[in-house]
Amino acid sequence: MSPPSILLTTEATYPYAVGGVSSWCHLVVGGLPEFAWRVLPIHAGGRRPRQLFDLPPHASLVGRIEVWGEQLPRRRWLRDRLPGGRPSLPAELVRTLIGWRPDHEELLDALVWCRRHPGELRATFRSVDAWRPFVQALREVLGESHPELASSPELDTVDAATLYQQLYWVARTAAAETPRVDLLHATAAGWAAIPTIVDRHLHGTPLLLTEHGVYVREAYLAAARSRGSAAERFLSSRLGRGLSLATYASADVVSPVTSANAHWERKLGVAPERIRVIHNGIEPSGELTPPPRARRVVTVGRIDPLKDVQTMLHVAAEVTRQLPDAQFEYWGPPTRGQEAYAQACEELHRRLGLGDRFRFMGTTSEPLRVMREADVVLMTSISEGLPMAVLEGMAQGRPVVSTGVGGVPEVLHGCGVVVPSGDVARLATGVAMLLRNPGFAERLGRRAYVRVRERYTQRRCLDGYRALLGELTASDAAAAA
Amino acid sequence: MRRSLTGEQAGGLVHARLGRPAQDLLEAVVVLEAWGGVPSESALALDGVVLPPCATPAPAPARALARDDEQREGIVAEGIALLVAIIAVAVWAGPLSRQLGTATLEHALRLALPLTLALQWMLRSRYLGRGGGVRQLAEERVAVLLVSVGVGAAIVAIPDVGPLVALFVLTWVGGAVMARRGWGLAYAALVTGEAVALGADAPAYASLALLGGIVLVACVVAVATARGRVEQAPGRLPRALAAGAIGALLGGLLVGDDSLGWGVHGAFPGLALAPSVIGSLWGGYHLWQFYAAVPNGLRGMPLALASETIRGGPATRVLIGALTRLVGVTTLLSLAVLAAAQWTNGADSIGVFVAFGTATLASLFVSLHESLGYVGWAFVVALASLAVELAITRWVAAPPPGLALSIAGAVGALLALAPLVRQLRSPGRMLATALWIK
Repeated sequence: MSPPSILLTTEATYPYAVGGVSSWCHLVVGGLPEFAWRVLPIHAGGRRPRQLFDLPPHASLVGRIEVWGEQLPRRRWLRDRLPGGRPSLPAELVRTLIGWRPDHEELLDALVWCRRHPGELRATFRSVDAWRPFVQALREVLGESHPELASSPELDTVDAATLYQQLYWVARTAAAETPRVDLLHATAAGWAAIPTIVDRHLHGTPLLLTEHGVYVREAYLAAARSRGSAAERFLSSRLGRGLSLATYASADVVSPVTSANAHWERKLGVAPERIRVIHNGIEPSGELTPPPRARRVVTVGRIDPLKDVQTMLHVAAEVTRQLPDAQFEYWGPPTRGQEAYAQACEELHRRLGLGDRFRFMGTTSEPLRVMREADVVLMTSISEGLPMAVLEGMAQGRPVVSTGVGGVPEVLHGCGVVVPSGDVARLATGVAMLLRNPGFAERLGRRAYVRVRERYTQRRCLDGYRALLGELTASDAAAAA
Repeated sequence: MRRSLTGEQAGGLVHARLGRPAQDLLEAVVVLEAWGGVPSESALALDGVVLPPCATPAPAPARALARDDEQREGIVAEGIALLVAIIAVAVWAGPLSRQLGTATLEHALRLALPLTLALQWMLRSRYLGRGGGVRQLAEERVAVLLVSVGVGAAIVAIPDVGPLVALFVLTWVGGAVMARRGWGLAYAALVTGEAVALGADAPAYASLALLGGIVLVACVVAVATARGRVEQAPGRLPRALAAGAIGALLGGLLVGDDSLGWGVHGAFPGLALAPSVIGSLWGGYHLWQFYAAVPNGLRGMPLALASETIRGGPATRVLIGALTRLVGVTTLLSLAVLAAAQWTNGADSIGVFVAFGTATLASLFVSLHESLGYVGWAFVVALASLAVELAITRWVAAPPPGLALSIAGAVGALLALAPLVRQLRSPGRMLATALWIK
């Protein structure tokens, strides 16, 4: 009997990029060989991405969905001959993805049509009949009134055309061919979920959503931090919200990696009984090594606005003012597309005169060794799910000072220092206090280590997914029987 | 941590952090959580953050969009290469005709020009018209090499004139690659050197073979040494093949009119084509602003007007500017060539200039259709023009020089212009449905 098959959809992560989500995918796919994994990545078009993770024998890539590229879906000549396709489609998508109170059934109908008519999408969106109803629908959305809404920004024609193009790619993503499987597993409530939503509706295959961050929260954060116009912020955050709501409405089970995310999911309409928290896990060190007592503060993570590296630089400036021999090391590359942010961080580093007391160390393939060489692990993120960097520090018995975002307060409960995000003074106080009191820091690190061994091991994580995936694939088999 | 905020306090905190009011409740919650130190559970549990009353916000400021300079360079490079090739035809024609015979040269030119245009259009569509185009050729070198050998072998196998056609095509298509690499001057020097050699009675085949060999080596070096990031993938193969077919039809249009006497009237047909090529080069260069000028022109245009018909919109202005340049330069340079009538061996009919002028006008419109993604219509227009030209050549006895090409060019221009006008009148719709949906 063949093992149950699972379609894992990813968005700009596994197997083409490194990071927390990719590490999680690799752990789950590699650690659960009793399932046949089919991996379908979504990535931005242009260059063919380089595969950074080797898939185990029980997993395979089933193609890739390239958005913003020029390739067209395969045309089925006998079926796709209607010129113009469905001119109402862009208007339907704007109502159901950008509108504040979307009609989920209307969205499903539109997305399923995309899957059934992939060869007509280009003609549909290039049709001269599609634009006017789209603009009308967009104006209606902008005119929506609701107590949770402030006034909408004034969009211009270019903003509308930009959204039109984005919706074309939503339609193209929905149209992507997928293999028939026993379970759909989306790794984010955004673009990665689009093909799975269609499959869920077309074939009744169960859909599991694992959320590491909260997609809608991160879309809003990115918009809030962007230097774009009010219209651009509005459209990008609303599209993120629309995709998330659609995913939540379709998913049979939503599985956040921390209870903190579950608050968001419930707020956005997911029934509590459909939420199953499964924490990330890590393999703790077999034997604790003593900290170096070198007043070394280490961070592992991408250089990204979500990590709020600039706050960290200010913290370093304050700590080194109090303790001039303190050393800060930041391990990790800039996120692709955030090179300007990385440059701004380096500029701030110069302005603060940090010199060698704060060093950007680049990528490391040995995060655990890096953590072992730390006296304190620092994290200043403004948004997280359950960050692997925190778990890695705890697994090496190192005390963690972190902002209290996402699942961090839950994980560090009683064994770390948690302060509000962006609070330089408190972050610096926490770090300096631990550097000044190495004995206390060591005790805190040991408590963190014990907590990881008790609650956040890879085995517990894999057991949780094994049970959940088995349950969902069994229910699908039962339904089919 | 802040745990008990009123809606008003929360609204104030969010406003202070963002420097503006939140757009909706979700944004307020996100800001409170990320920068306000409010745990997600508390932020989400707020009964309501006080949001500002509805007011008419300020319109979005106009922002300039980046120009696609590299693609424009691709067009210019191709235009320079075509121009040099045409002048080469003009200057080489006399010596080659004497050595190889008029009939052989005419036959070879009438095959080589369409083949050259087909390959140039194809290369532009898939590689040269894109960011890092020459580098992309290097990345697909095996496929490019195999196709080149196959195409070359097929051309060489053409009865009687195959090797001569192959040398012409190699030289002219290679020129497009060299020009795209930024080696246009070196290419012009090579072609000029060949003209000098032929003028000094160097053996035709040997000197053309030497030139072709040098161009080939230069192309290999140009591709192998191309540097820089390649952000775009190569263009779609079916689209490139369609572009090649359109190029072949337009090349056929140039040589389909018997009355022009390619190879018969020495330098004349080539020289007469030069003014319109220079005109279309300038017009085409201006037209390439389209991709930046249309969105820039529409920035700040209210949504209420997005689907309205607009006279004199940004797209129309760019097209009129391109037409003015094409017609103006072609007319002036044609008059200049006519003034030098002693070069033209008495075949200096004004009708030939008009013919080439209308043909390049049709080519410009066809090229615009192709770049906007209306490949099918571009093909139909080119095919219809060629059919009209061949029909007149076949059925009209002894037409005046250039009549068939003039009528064919005019038919093509009108056929192409009608749908273009419809598109241009609604620039918002054109931006969304044509320019940005590839």
